[in-house]
Amino acid sequence: MSEPTDLRRSPLLDRRRFFADTGIGLGAIALTHLLGRQGLLAANVSGKETIRPVIPPGQPYAPRKPHFTGRAKNVLVIFCSGACSQLDTFDHKPELIRRHGQPMPGSDKLITFQGEQGALAKSPWEFKPRGKSGKMISDLVPHIGALADDLCFIHSMQGKTNTHGPGENFMSTCNALDGFPSLGAWVTYALGSEDQSLPAYVAIPDPRGKPQNSVNNWAPGFLPAAFQGTEFNATHPIRNLARPGSVPAGSDAATRRFLRELNERHAERFPGDTELAARIASYELAARMQLTIPEVADLSSEPAHILKLYGADEGGSKILETRAAFARNCILARRLVEKGVRFVQVFNGAYQTGGEGVSNWDGHKDLLNQYSQHGPVLDKPTAGLLIDLKQRGLLDDTLVVWCTEFGRMPTFQKGSQGRDHNPSGFTCWMAGAGVKKGFSHGATDEFGYKAVEDVTTVYDLHATILHLLGLDHERLTYYHNGLERRLTDVHGQVVKAVLS
Amino acid sequence: MTCAWMSSAWMSSFAAATLAIGADVAPLPPAAGRTVDFTRDIQPILAGSCISCHGPEKQKGSYRLDSRAAALKGGETYDPAIKPGDSAGSPLIRLVAGLVPDEKMPAKGDALTADQIALLRAWIDQGARWADDAGADADPIRSHWSYRPVVRPPVPGAGATDVSGAVVGGGRKPVEGSVKAVSSNPIDSFIAAKLAENGLTLSPEADRVTLIRRLFLVMLGMPPAPDDVAAFVGDREPLAFERLVDKVLADARYGERWGRHWLDVVRFAESNGFETNRERPNGWRFRDYVIAAFNSDKPYDQFIREQIAGDALGTDVATGFLVGGPVDIVGSPDIVLTSQQRADELDDMVGTTGTAFLGLTLGCARCHSHKFDPISHREYHAMTAVFAGVKHGERALPLPADRQAAVAEADARIAELERRLAPFIARPAAAGAGGKLRPAVDPVRNEDRFAPVGTRALRFTILATSGGEPCIDELEVWSGDRNVALASAGTKASASGTLPGLEIHKLEHINDGRVGNNRSWISSEAGRGWIRLDFAKPERIDRVVWGRDREGGFKDRLATGYRIEVLTAADTWDPVASSDDRAKAKETPSKPAPPVYVFDGLPAAEAAQARQWSAGLDSARKERAGAAKAAMVYSGNFTQPGPTFRLHRGDPMQKREPVPPGTLAIFRPLTLATNAPEQERRVRLADWIASPDNPLTARVMVNRVWQHQFGAGLVTTPNDFGKNGARPSHPELLDWLASEWVAPSSASGSTTAARHPWSIKHLQRLILTSATWRQSSGPLASARKIDATSRLLWRFPPRRMEAEGIRDSILAVSGNLDRTAGGPSFFLHDVDRENVYHYHPKEKFTPAETRRMVYAFKVRMEQDGIFGAFDCPDGSLVAPKRSMSTTPLQALNLFNSDFILQQAEIFAARLQNEAGDDARAQVRTAWQLAFNRAPAPGELEAATGFARAEGLPALCRAVLNANEFLFIP
Repeated sequence: MSEPTDLRRSPLLDRRRFFADTGIGLGAIALTHLLGRQGLLAANVSGKETIRPVIPPGQPYAPRKPHFTGRAKNVLVIFCSGACSQLDTFDHKPELIRRHGQPMPGSDKLITFQGEQGALAKSPWEFKPRGKSGKMISDLVPHIGALADDLCFIHSMQGKTNTHGPGENFMSTCNALDGFPSLGAWVTYALGSEDQSLPAYVAIPDPRGKPQNSVNNWAPGFLPAAFQGTEFNATHPIRNLARPGSVPAGSDAATRRFLRELNERHAERFPGDTELAARIASYELAARMQLTIPEVADLSSEPAHILKLYGADEGGSKILETRAAFARNCILARRLVEKGVRFVQVFNGAYQTGGEGVSNWDGHKDLLNQYSQHGPVLDKPTAGLLIDLKQRGLLDDTLVVWCTEFGRMPTFQKGSQGRDHNPSGFTCWMAGAGVKKGFSHGATDEFGYKAVEDVTTVYDLHATILHLLGLDHERLTYYHNGLERRLTDVHGQVVKAVLS
Repeated sequence: MTCAWMSSAWMSSFAAATLAIGADVAPLPPAAGRTVDFTRDIQPILAGSCISCHGPEKQKGSYRLDSRAAALKGGETYDPAIKPGDSAGSPLIRLVAGLVPDEKMPAKGDALTADQIALLRAWIDQGARWADDAGADADPIRSHWSYRPVVRPPVPGAGATDVSGAVVGGGRKPVEGSVKAVSSNPIDSFIAAKLAENGLTLSPEADRVTLIRRLFLVMLGMPPAPDDVAAFVGDREPLAFERLVDKVLADARYGERWGRHWLDVVRFAESNGFETNRERPNGWRFRDYVIAAFNSDKPYDQFIREQIAGDALGTDVATGFLVGGPVDIVGSPDIVLTSQQRADELDDMVGTTGTAFLGLTLGCARCHSHKFDPISHREYHAMTAVFAGVKHGERALPLPADRQAAVAEADARIAELERRLAPFIARPAAAGAGGKLRPAVDPVRNEDRFAPVGTRALRFTILATSGGEPCIDELEVWSGDRNVALASAGTKASASGTLPGLEIHKLEHINDGRVGNNRSWISSEAGRGWIRLDFAKPERIDRVVWGRDREGGFKDRLATGYRIEVLTAADTWDPVASSDDRAKAKETPSKPAPPVYVFDGLPAAEAAQARQWSAGLDSARKERAGAAKAAMVYSGNFTQPGPTFRLHRGDPMQKREPVPPGTLAIFRPLTLATNAPEQERRVRLADWIASPDNPLTARVMVNRVWQHQFGAGLVTTPNDFGKNGARPSHPELLDWLASEWVAPSSASGSTTAARHPWSIKHLQRLILTSATWRQSSGPLASARKIDATSRLLWRFPPRRMEAEGIRDSILAVSGNLDRTAGGPSFFLHDVDRENVYHYHPKEKFTPAETRRMVYAFKVRMEQDGIFGAFDCPDGSLVAPKRSMSTTPLQALNLFNSDFILQQAEIFAARLQNEAGDDARAQVRTAWQLAFNRAPAPGELEAATGFARAEGLPALCRAVLNANEFLFIP
């Protein structure tokens, strides 16, 4: 045992020394030389030299430089869980309307997720020209439609699985299987965060519950747990964030101080061991978060016109109340982006409860009734969020991505009034930093079934998002289980056409 | 993994290519008529026309021409691409000559000239030698360290190393109370030699308190009790530590700790994953199997065999390994989806087998041949063929012996009563003539009754099966109460043919009196076959009893169409029974209904007697059903698979040529017939992996053990020993350990405890008793400059405990740990069991959640609300090592959760109870329990003052959050 010394002279409190001693200095370099060639240093499968960010212990969210100057600093994803139909929202197909009620050519041999196809079915919602661009968007989402001149559509999205679990995995992690890191985890691993008193990556589940593949959508996968999305929304705060009710504030602070004393006394026996210092630092960061997160999550300072803009001020019916709750999540998202949180994911739609399509966009049997509820919940708050981001100048640095796990069929299912799953063609859109405005990229066939023009894979979409952040998707890697893993695996091309 | 989906000319249609290869040779330019020099003649051609697409930068079609091995081996479509000695038959020549439609090579740039092709042909015909014939160097199988055989290296400076004298450095004195160690442990010689090369030395031995604390945390996953510490510190025996090691290895907590490590390696969890994420209520049996295997020091080779083919070894539970991974159970009529799901299941089995046992990333060869390692696309599919008959699901376990005896006893009673009641069976109307059909054939047992007939021989002819070659476990022919078919009764069996080469399927099993798949006969022909039984003397017979697997495990290969005939005096065959009057076999055959007995018209006494028998029969059947009710387990379910095909680019919709079961060529080849019996495939693969000569198996596991004992492996990529993995820091030591492990020497520095080949405990004892493991963890600035991460082991590297270790330690220290071992899991989540399952992390805890965390229901996706944040893997992917991140969420969970506050209260109550009301005594006890040491003077004052001001629970809350509590010293 070493003798107790004056804690204020502890080297651990010297930040410069703390960073100098992070264990990745000269010693580590010398050792690499000693051990000869390390397989780990090899190029990855793309043949390009890999870039693996160095994460200082205790400072996992320290800001890190991108590979090149990007257009976006933050990303805000709006994810519609359940597979939102492109044909009832953004993908206008006159031929589908014309041939409503007729069989789709070749559909007699087509077996989709739930089975056989009925006839082609036009959307129950009318499409109208919107904005100066005259973009045709349906009456299901008129508020979003009004912003058409700010949006950049990709109508030729293609997935590779037609079940929700793998589909959500694929859209959030670029891999249909469980266990891979989400886009947000990759981004925070690469870039850290601008704000050290908030989590770098926040996932905001729908007020009705978590999405179908739950935490997989913001999972760290094989990346360190530090890069997991922190889950909370305007209704449910972060678990264990608040000081326990049974502990008075003074006592809580005293305990924290005493713990730090214990830890610093212990650390004196291990000078230079950064893991110990990192844990001490993590308690300090936790204490800061205890103050900053409730502050950012407290919407009471938002003025009435802002609440109204998002639709957060109305109630009285189940739809309006759900919409108001989703609107509060959107306001929370804006507040997080405003604070410099690197990656925010807002979910619209929850896991299946009460039957197929009741709580999310999975409209197999009763599209009209179900989408009549989901459309309004999504529409006004999302539009409010875009308007608010724009009026605050936040769209200059923030990339907004609207997505869903896959699309739906232009036919109704045999004997039903809804659409089956369809990964062959669907729509996503982006807005804000680095992307064209009032622009549409790619197209599906005449009925909106299959992407045929400028086919864009989910890998391409992710490659593009990384590119906008100044990251080369072929170089950003993490070694796991025999491979320099990439977000985009061995696929993906930046969709240059959408870049502004 | 999913890989290159991009198209390239090289990868286009295999079918077209195959046709082309068989085409006429005439259009090929003749081979050059001279001796070819690789460097002068060939290399310029390759460099000029090939390497830009098939070299270090790009490998179009997974093919590269920059080493001999790779060039010969071929890429995605052509395997091999070059056949030395046969230029006309080498795809490379056909492609450059433009003989393969649409695939002329090079794809870009000028075509090769006739002269160039002539040179290439001559080069191939002359053996395709590389520069200086350096083929051996370019052949990864011979050149990569981990594919070479393990050769026991000499121990550096063989003889005793005086650790305290020779290698203690840094001017530091051994800590007081440490034992002066004179090491004869070869591990120390290897480590010390490498340290010396780098101007470093081992640190002195850690003090005894540190040693026992480290030992308990590393080996048992929780700190020692104060009594354990006092006993060890006071033990003056020279071998005190060695004895402590033996005691710890015999502790039941050991298996719980080390079993958890293995469960990470095999991605064990108890829910299905994906969005349904349903429970596997009997998945825990595999977890208990693993824990018991470690506690009983099951030899590792046996451990391997049981997990891959335990159904052949009486350890069915162990095959939970095969199906431990996630599975997407969402059904659909969409064949693309269902094929993909099945391909993913097989990929999980192949991939996990490869990483767990061989340290090879086989999954990388799913879409194309491995880019770094000698694993071809075809070999990957040969491995999938090994597992092609393995399915996920719950199934019944074989009965334990006492239950089997009870079943046999009931069976005997049933048989006896059925015999007595036989005269009273209600005869069905003549079958076929509009009468009711007999039930469909049953894989377990079938009885064909007929009017008694005298004969010398009986023939059972199979005309159709449910799939594959028919299998019958036993053919019984009854004359009253005698089975006259038995070989022991002199009956001779013959058959149309028997599937060759299998111990468990032989003709003599057909009438050996033993039932079950392991004593059965399989025909040599798919869908048909016959068996003839010649009795020792003419017999009067009345029924035939037969089954596919009387033990109920196998339902495949069932004879669905058959005919039973007896030999007449005129040497002709007379049919006595057949499948014609049976219902059509369904996929899940229903049990045949028992016969109905009628007692009408009998004298009263006789009827009463018969009714009594009938009642006795009913109760005997009930007893039998009770005794035969088997425990359920989530483990491998096995059926004979059809052929396996190579899937072009891993796409299940693009089947190519059939691939027989087999494995990698890196080590002794293993090939099986395309239709090899399912179990045989796995047995043979397991033997191949568990061989002491397999260069990877022992190295990989030795490294895992080392990793968990030191925090990092000698190879830091524990699941990748291939070319893209890390090199070992101490290759000789790794090989010495691997060789010592599979063939223990008499002088391996161990104590007297028994050791056997592949004994994990022996290996661990060897490591634990080394001076290397026992050295202090104190940092040394001078050494850190040379080796910051302590990779060369100039000290014992301290580290944070994993999630389970932290939770278990908290419960142990507070005195709240429920030591109940094994059995169904407890839940850290509340579960909504809808069609899709939802798991909500519990926030309030009761005594039901105080068992060790290895017994917590392991949910995929959803983590425990508190300890999940400590890098706890969820079992979706294999997790050979855990990342050790430090995050504010961990701090929040450990500082603010109800769990911690509750445990702090319980800990405080314990202190009050054990130390009384004196605050100083309470602090001393707290320190002994949590840190295994007395508080330093300043600490005692500070802690006592704090406890007085804020209360004892507040002190406990701080202690349970302390770095000293969480770190392995």
